[in-house]
Amino acid sequence: MPGPFRKQMKRMWTWIAITFGAVLALVFVGLSVMAGSPKDALQMVRYALPYMHRGDLKAGDAVPDIQLVTLDGQSRFPLRGEMKGRPLVLVFGSFT
Amino acid sequence: MGDIEKIYEDYKDHADFLTIYIREAHPIDEWRMRSNEKDKDDVCYVQPKTLEQRVAIANDFTKRFKYTLPFGIDDMNNAANDAFAAWPERLYIVDETGKISYKGGNGPFKYDPKEVRAWLAGRYGEVKPAAPTTPAAPQTPAPTTSNEKKS
Repeated sequence: MPGPFRKQMKRMWTWIAITFGAVLALVFVGLSVMAGSPKDALQMVRYALPYMHRGDLKAGDAVPDIQLVTLDGQSRFPLRGEMKGRPLVLVFGSFT
Repeated sequence: MGDIEKIYEDYKDHADFLTIYIREAHPIDEWRMRSNEKDKDDVCYVQPKTLEQRVAIANDFTKRFKYTLPFGIDDMNNAANDAFAAWPERLYIVDETGKISYKGGNGPFKYDPKEVRAWLAGRYGEVKPAAPTTPAAPQTPAPTTSNEKKS
């Protein structure tokens, strides 16, 4: 490989690495501002991103048949058992 | 949850509702939120590791807010959360035939109870505000006009 070409390739990879690093830094700064602090941003990436997704369900799909636990924790019931010939509004959430 | 409770009160004669409690969004051992600290909203919980812990937090929630909607809890395998991509919060409407009719966006930014209300209003009509229960104040007699002639 001729010397000038190798030098050109090296320069190109250096710029790609610098650009990639700069984009990553910008994304991290943006997330830190959004989340409140760099620590919050790290926690968001670690704990939120694995769970925050669109999922496969779409309009027209049958409601999944899953089992839920009663509020007293003593028994389980099927979600489809809640269908009583009327529309069913599902509200997902947590306390925090 | 206040908006959803209002929608529930307005449409519970037409549709069924079910709240499903899923894994915590901002427990103190994961993505902690300052707004949840003791001096603010005071909802400081660690992410439940057992079903008993999850049930206990769900009960704290329903008691604190006197929450009236029917309630179910996702099991520790997070089956509901995974099937519905529910975390951190999301709304769905399942129609009478058991098919998904409405899928809301991911909370908190795309969680929009107004869309649920619009769906229900489209089906059953808008619910008008209830008439005031207190009796109306007695009408004061209309003032006599100055150009009336006295007999």
